[in-house]
This record gives sequence, structure tokens and C-alpha cells, in this order.
Amino acid sequence: MSIGIAPPGSVVAAPRPARSLWSDAWRRLRRNRMAVAAGWFLGALALTAALAPWLPGLADPTTQDLAKGATAPSLQHAFGTDELGRDLFSRVLHGGRISLLVGLVGTLVSLIIGVTWGAIAGYVGGKVDDLMMRVVDVLYALPYIFLVILLLVFFSKSLVMLFVALGLVQWLTMARIVRGQVLSLKHQTFVEAARALGASDAAILFRHIVPNTLGPVIVYTTLTVPAVILQEAFLSFLGLGVQPPNASWGTLVSDGARAIALFPWLVVFPGLAMSLTLLAFNFLGDGLRDALDPKGRRDSH
Amino acid sequence: MFRFVLRRLLLMIPTLWVIATLTFVLVRLAPGGPFMSEKEIPKAAKAELLHRYGLDRPLHEQYVTFLGNAARFDFGPSYKYPDREVREILLQGFAVSAELGGWALLVAVLFGVPMGVIAAMRQNRAADFAAMTFALAGVSVPNFVLGPLLVLVFSLTLLWLPAALWTSPASRVLPVIALSVGYVAYIARLTRAGMLEVLQQDFVRTARAKGLTERGVVVGHALQLGILPVVSYLGPAAARIVMGSIVIEQIFAVPGLGRYLVVGALNRDYTLVLGVVLFYAAFLMLLNLIVDLAYQRLDPRVELS
Amino acid sequence: MRTPILVALSSAILLLGCSPELARGPEVNGRRYFGSLAAPGGQILRFNLGTEPELRDPGAMSGQPDGRFARLVFEGLTTNDPRTLEPMPAQARAWELSSDGLTYTFHLRSGLVWSDGTPITAHDFAWSWRRVLDPATAARNASLMYPIAGAEAFNKGESHDPASVAIATPDDSTLVVTLVQPTAYFLFLTTYYAFMPVPRHVVERFGTRWTLPQHLVGNGAFKWTYWRQNDRYEFEPSPSYWDRANVKLERIVAYTIDDLNTCTNLYKSGAIDWNPSGYIPSSYLGYMKPYADYRTGRYQGLFFYSFNCTRPPFDNVWVRRALAHAVDREAIARDLLKGSRDAWGNLVPSGYPGYESPSPMRYDVAYARECLTRAGYPGGKGFPKTSILFNTSEDGRRIAEAIQAMWKRDLGIDVELANQEWGSYLQATRALQYDIARRSWIGDYLDPNTFLHLLTSDDGNNRCGWKHPRYDALINEAERTLDPARRFAVLAEAESLAIDQAPYLPLYHYSTIELVKPWVRGLYSNALDVHPLKHVWIDHQWREHEPLAAEQER
Repeated sequence: MSIGIAPPGSVVAAPRPARSLWSDAWRRLRRNRMAVAAGWFLGALALTAALAPWLPGLADPTTQDLAKGATAPSLQHAFGTDELGRDLFSRVLHGGRISLLVGLVGTLVSLIIGVTWGAIAGYVGGKVDDLMMRVVDVLYALPYIFLVILLLVFFSKSLVMLFVALGLVQWLTMARIVRGQVLSLKHQTFVEAARALGASDAAILFRHIVPNTLGPVIVYTTLTVPAVILQEAFLSFLGLGVQPPNASWGTLVSDGARAIALFPWLVVFPGLAMSLTLLAFNFLGDGLRDALDPKGRRDSH
Repeated sequence: MFRFVLRRLLLMIPTLWVIATLTFVLVRLAPGGPFMSEKEIPKAAKAELLHRYGLDRPLHEQYVTFLGNAARFDFGPSYKYPDREVREILLQGFAVSAELGGWALLVAVLFGVPMGVIAAMRQNRAADFAAMTFALAGVSVPNFVLGPLLVLVFSLTLLWLPAALWTSPASRVLPVIALSVGYVAYIARLTRAGMLEVLQQDFVRTARAKGLTERGVVVGHALQLGILPVVSYLGPAAARIVMGSIVIEQIFAVPGLGRYLVVGALNRDYTLVLGVVLFYAAFLMLLNLIVDLAYQRLDPRVELS
Repeated sequence: MRTPILVALSSAILLLGCSPELARGPEVNGRRYFGSLAAPGGQILRFNLGTEPELRDPGAMSGQPDGRFARLVFEGLTTNDPRTLEPMPAQARAWELSSDGLTYTFHLRSGLVWSDGTPITAHDFAWSWRRVLDPATAARNASLMYPIAGAEAFNKGESHDPASVAIATPDDSTLVVTLVQPTAYFLFLTTYYAFMPVPRHVVERFGTRWTLPQHLVGNGAFKWTYWRQNDRYEFEPSPSYWDRANVKLERIVAYTIDDLNTCTNLYKSGAIDWNPSGYIPSSYLGYMKPYADYRTGRYQGLFFYSFNCTRPPFDNVWVRRALAHAVDREAIARDLLKGSRDAWGNLVPSGYPGYESPSPMRYDVAYARECLTRAGYPGGKGFPKTSILFNTSEDGRRIAEAIQAMWKRDLGIDVELANQEWGSYLQATRALQYDIARRSWIGDYLDPNTFLHLLTSDDGNNRCGWKHPRYDALINEAERTLDPARRFAVLAEAESLAIDQAPYLPLYHYSTIELVKPWVRGLYSNALDVHPLKHVWIDHQWREHEPLAAEQER
């Protein structure tokens, strides 16, 4: 169901960015009003969500009041209540905590595996590269939902497992991007120079080459977070996502979607929160791409 | 060209073998088995079922049998639906999924590419902004939110279109829309980015200098290269859209293939799961091969190796 | 600029959804309906069959959707009265019971044929029944035939001679069955799909594939004409059926939709005429009562929690009692399930004439706290970490959350929720790898024993590890007791013992909950959720006939 992330080809290789390049990029990013707004939005959201348990006046998201189940939005409950009489506004905020956490941790897992895998494959090259990329091919060809189901069947459905499962299915594209970057960088003069100075392979790879792949990695990372959030929501739709009493936007949306004809607010508010967040991530990702990729930048002609 | 295709096809075999083995091991390791239910099946009946499907033999023997069968695209009968061969189930489901996916992809390309081209030609102007707004919103609204919303508005409130099912032509409208919106949006973005890059290149400038209209430049020269990212995206997208529209199938009761991936794994219907996974993998790899061939056609700079 | 669009769209949808008109539905003759009221032309019935049937072989199958298919295409010796479920003559025109209550003699109708024209004889029944009992058939419901002498031994492989099963065929139209002991409900049993005949000439020719549409041959009121997996089945009246003149429907379209929301949407928008029990999302239920096309009644099934009595702390009866008495099942039924199900504190559902239920499990916080103290956890202090296991489902989760909250509130106990997908869940309950598990049980036959036998030590479906010699002795005694009143008294004593020991925590009584368009006649709610469609017809003048009192009351 997921819409793909940018294919590797669309992220154009950044030549070794000098310090001025980064500040250039920063300047360009700040000029992109939508990206800045998205950044502020995400920052504010992350802060509110992180502090949700300690916010004064916010109802407890797990307190049930069965007699007042499923009431429409009102002054008392801005987003209404769900079937168990829990305050939906509070649940959406707490759900955001989980969803953002899932998105970030899942992305981190994919980042670590993907960068390491791709960098090693690209740098070592030859048979090792072939083998490592064949592993990526195999995993690419496996329907990821099947992998996730099995991971969740094997290991109890804890939040940690969910992070790992989502990260594990997301690192493939990252590995391909990083490998492509490393391949194009490893014969450049600064690498040769480091080698001539007697730096070890590991040092060359992780001190000199990987930092130079940062541009595309940052862009892709920004786009992975919403993808992971979506994946989690998709799993929740199949009943395999975050488990109660925790709720993510995914579980809220999929529960709400099942009662849409009678209690549409149950899907509209979490859906809105989720869509806006994904939108913000996509804006930010676009902005970063424009900023870090001088060729495709908006003010180029 | 022929050698390239042959080599790629041969390379598929070891990959498929690894996938088959991996899947076999994974499903067998999963707790539970195919003949479980809330009401215990009598012992004798269960023993008979296990025997009937060879599940009482040593695992390595079962593995060899399975590999031999898989090579002939014959996975045996489904455990859950024992009067049908997995192959029959797959092909019937695939026909429906392919139709749904085909329509959705067609809509995605027919709307997404022009949107992207227009956005690129009117960069930073209102049309660009509108197209990209739609594109980002389309990517950001999950289809399991969009699907029920469409049903609520067009089926339950306005009573214009069927709420579900895969029978009349009208019943295809909502699932195709719900499935394609995300792809329209994504293709529009890809096209825009691709076109922007191409429009800056020398040969385009030359064409402009020769006095061609902007439309002539775009249609005659730039489009061919500008949609390359879309072409490389279409391969995996087609595989996913055809195999993985699980959510849409569920919401709109479309009798497609995607559900078997989930249902098969959850029911421990070993033969069905192995069949779907291998089918998906082979399908994806074939599509990628086709994409590479198309790529070469469109971009003379690319050589097949 | 993007946000306003989304906000506008959402508000529009919100307004639409909150608008009372949408939720209220159309009104006719002062009665309001949930679904749209445009009837299709002709005698056609469109309904949701439910989840795609797994088996179409009546001898081997089990489960509601499979059974619905069987009851359309096949027919047993007897069939149910659509309203009272009373057994009525079907393929058998008459029968006699011997004075000792042990021998039934069935007389088949003359001229019975399969849908391909092959004659049906008593030998077909004898062959089909023995086939069900043959271990090689792996029939899920073979144990329903155990009242027949010799059946159990043959099915369990203790005897290998099919002739040892006491079914005799003195001539082509007579079937004589000898029972182990008088079985009051035997004529009910012969209405079940396991007792339906299968066409030997087709089964032997095509093997397991005989149930495909191109091969299948039946003897029921309808003929199977179309199939697409996970989409729909279509049926037409069978011209060779003995009672063809009384079959009114000209066509049946049975969709196989397992998503509750989807099929309810289809009902609401008018694409199906009947959404059977079990296919309405629970969140809708509380709002359905006012509608004239909503029907509900009690169903022979129980939803309960089971404690793993082999694991501490649940090996301690005081712990079980404490937790059992701290569940407000009335609140769950009333608020969470919106009154769609009845709270039930007994282990045996209602509906067995003559059976007097012992006093049920109560909601009694003071007593529960006292039990917890006696168990050694005053105020919940030191109570070990435990979890409630349930399978991935909407209702299962809500109920588990509600119970989790009740135990926290009333006992100060924290339990976790563990959600597993169906296969892992089944494996975990079978292997007793859980603390507390969500369970349910649907009765097989109309007798309390179908529920009480579960808790005997060696029942494969016990799945809680509770073993109680006295309980086993009582169930055994009941089986040997011939006097019905005395037998029920013994069973009630056993139930009372099990309620006191609390290995199971009963929560609610199942209900049939369905949506039926007003033009569908001859379809009734009943305790077994069995619906012979032979008698159903479409009333195009329903607006003049509404309300039809007979069908509104069950």
C-alpha cells in the first residue's frame, strides 16, 4: 500500500560539500517558506507530543467512561470521545508520541543498517559487493508485509519488535543510495590522498567517504520517517501494529475507519493529524533536497 | 540485447531459490500449523490431514518436494481451500488484481505525468503550486483513510456509486480512485523533478535556440528523458500496486491477490503462502527487467550490461 | 495554502457524517430503516454468506459460512422448521422410533434424484455417514455421529470395519439406525450438514475436487451456478428437487465478504438484502435498536475468559475467584457492547427447556477484594505480572481493555494485554502458554452437555488446565443417567461447581444480530442461526403489508 520513497536515481550526487556548501544549503532552506513552516510545525508537534503526559488539563488517554462512549466533538472534548469514552484529543496527542517515536526509531534502525551495509558494499566492491547487493535484491523481492507478519508472529508484538520490524524492511533503499554514492566517491582525489597518507580502510570509509554522502542520506531520511509512520498505520489496519492500551495514529485511524458512517470524527481527527505530519515531513524533505542539491534548486535559472 | 535478457532471466533462478528457501524456513518456524481451529480437530482426523499433505514426513523431504513442485509452478492444493490448486487461486486472484492495478496505474500515468509536466513548465507559478499541493496531499493521505471517506460521501450519502464489490463497471470507480491517488501524486512529483532537470540541459537549450515553441521542446525532446524516473518507478510500483493493494481489496471487497499474502501467512496455509511469495518475487523481477529494457529504449546513453 | 484545503475537506466530511439525516435512514409507515429501501425486481435474494467457505463437502466441513452453503445445495433426512427449528421431514418422508428409544427407521421419499438425475437411495445415506466416520475423511464434525452405535470406535480407529457402524439399509428407501443410548436430539442431528448425503458417483470420480462448481452435484433446493473466490456464489432453484413447487426464489446471490464494515456499507446502500449475524461492526450496534430492519435474539454461544490453572498465580482458586468477581459484565454488555449482547454469569447459555441454571457469577468488589487478600495479595500488592491473551480483533481488544481497567480500579492489579494473530493465539491456548485468554464456544447440539463437557479433564478444548475429579465424576454420572430431569440436575450441580472454582470467567451470551430488508419474507432469527432459504420469498408489496408482526417477534 505504501507509496514508494524517492528512487535512488532521483537523489543527485552531491560533490564533496565544502563548509560553504552547507551554509549555502542552510541559507537556501531558510528561504523556502513552506519547508521552514513544516520544520516549525514538526518541532512544535514533537515537543507537545513528548510532553503530553505532563500537560496540564489534558485528559488521561486511557481513562474510560463507558456510559459516555462515542460522543461528538464538544467544548468538553474538542475531538469528541471514542467508544470507550476516552478523550480523543488526548488520544491523538499521545498517539502522536507513539507514531513519531515509531517513525524516528524505525528510521534510525534503517539508517544504521542501510548506511553501514551500503558503504561497505560500495567500498569493498567485487564479490563482496555482489553478494551484499544480492541479499538486498532478495529482500526487495520478498513482499515486505509477509516479512513483517512473520517477524511479528515469531516475536511477541512488543513496541520494540515493531521498531525493529519496520526498520528492517526500510533499510534497502538507503543501502542502495549509499552504495551508489560511495562507488562514485571512492576514486576521487581526496580519498586517494587519505590512502596515500596511510589511513586504514575503515577510517577512509567512515571518516572521509560516508560524511560526504550525508546530503542524499539526510534527504532520504526525512522521507523515510513518514514512510515508516505510514507502514505502521498500515500494519495497524491489519491489526498488527501498536498494541493497546498504547495507540498510534495508525490504530486510531484504522479503528475510526471502521465506524465512519456513524462516528466520522474518530477517523477525521487522527487522520488529519497524521496527514498533516506526513505532509510536513514531505515538505521538509523536498526543501532539504532543493537545498542540498544545487542543480535542482528552485532559483537556478 | 537477447543475451542481456537471457542473463537476467538466469540470474533470477538463484534469487528465486533463495527466496523460496527463506520463505519455506520462515513459515515452518512460525508457531501453529494449518489445521488449527477454535474447536479442536479430532486427533485421528488431524493425523489423516497431516498425512494427506505429506506434513508428517521429515522436513528436508518436504523441502525437496516443495522445490521440485515450485519449479513447475505447481504448489499443490491450498490447505485452507483443499479442492483448489494454489495455482488456480493465484491466477484467478491475479486476473482481478491486474485489472484493478492496471486501471489505477493508467489513471496514475494519465493524470500524474501531465500534472508534473505542467508544473515543471510553470515552475513556481500557481499551476505548479496547485499541482504540487495535490501531489503532497495525495502522498500524505493514506488510502485506508481515503477509501472509507470516498465510500461515506459517494456511496452512503450521495448513493452515486456502489460501496464495494467487483461486479459492474461502476463498482470499479471508487477502488481505482482510492488506489491511484497516491500514485498520481507521486508520479506527478517524479515527472516534475525529472523535467526540471532535463529542461536545463544543453540539447534543450539548443532546441529552444532553434526557435521551437516551448510545447514543441517539451513534447519533442524533453519529455522522453524527463519521464525516465517515472519509468524506473513504474516497475516496482506496478508490482506493488498489483500484489499489494491489500487495504483496497479489504475495504472494497475486491477478490484480488493481495489478501492471500496476509490470510495465507496468518492461517499457516503453507502452500498458499509459498505460492504467493514466489509469484510476487518473480513478477517483480520480470517487471524490473522490462523497466530496464524500456529505460534503454528511452535513453540512448544507457547501455545494457 | 495546502492546509486550508485539507481542513475544508475534513470539515465537509465531518458535517456530512454528523448530519442526523445520514444516520437516520429512510422511513416508511412511521418505521425507520437503517438501509436504503430500493428493492430489486423479481424473486432474487442477495446476502452476505460471510467469510469464504473453506470446504464445500458437507461431510467434512465445519463453520457457519460452510454450513450456509451446504444447506442450500444439500438436504438431510430432516430439516429445520425455519422458525421453531423443529425437525421436519425432508429427504425422509417419515420415521419410526422403537419403544426402547434406540432404533430409528427412516423412510425416504420416492423418486429422489441428485441434480444430475442419478437416483438417491438409502445406500447413499449409509455410505455418506460411514464416510464421515472414516478417519481418512478427516471430518471436523464426525463426533456428532457418536450417538450411533459403533460410530465412535470406527472414527477413532479402534475398529476398522465400516460395517461395525449400526446403520442398516433393508431396502433402497429404508434406513435403520441403532443408537448407543436414547438421544432426545437425534432428529436435530440429522438436520446438520454432517448428516447430509453426498453423491458417491461424483466423490469417487473426482476425489477432493468433487466440490468444484463444474463437478458438484447436490440434492437440495438450489443448484450452484457461479463462483468466484472471495467474491460471490450464485444459486438457482434445482429443477429436480422433490419440493420444487414450493421454492419461490428464482435466484440467490451470496457474496463472501469478511470485512464487517464493508458488508454493512453494502447493506446500507442497498446492495444486499440480508447481512447475517456476526457481520455488523460492534461500534454500530448501540445505534441500531430503533431500526425496523434490525433483528436480534439469543444465540447458543458463550464468550468467556479462561485462566491458565497450571500457572501461578491462577493455580490458586482464590486468585481466580478474586478476578472473576471483579468484572462488571453488566457494564461491558450495556456500555461497551451497547446492549447488543446479554451479560451472562453462567457457563451454560439459556434455551434448554427443563434445565435450571445454578446461580451465576456475580460482580462483587468487596468479595473480590476479600478473595485477593486470602490469596495473599491484599490490595493487589505483590501480584505477579500477568497478561490477557486475545486474538487480533476489534471487540476482543475493547473488552480486554475494559477488563484491564476494572481489575486495576477494583483490585489494584496491573495486567498487560497480549494480542496475537489467530494462528499463534490458537497455538498458545492449546499449549497453555498464556495467563488469561479470551475464549468462546458455540454449542454443537441443543444440550447443556455441549458446554459443560469442555471442562472435563481430558477434553481437547478444555485449554485451561483445570482438572477436578468431582467435576469429571458428575459429568460422567450425567452421561449414564437416563431420566432427563435427574440428568439435568446432575449437570446443574457440575455447572455450579465450575462457577465456584472459576477456571472460566463467563462474560456474555452470544446473540444473533442481523439486518434484513423488509421485503424478505420467511427468514427468522433463531437460537442456532440456521436459515433454510427454501421458504424465503420477496414481497414486492411489502409497504402495504408492513409491519408484519409474525416476523418481528422471533
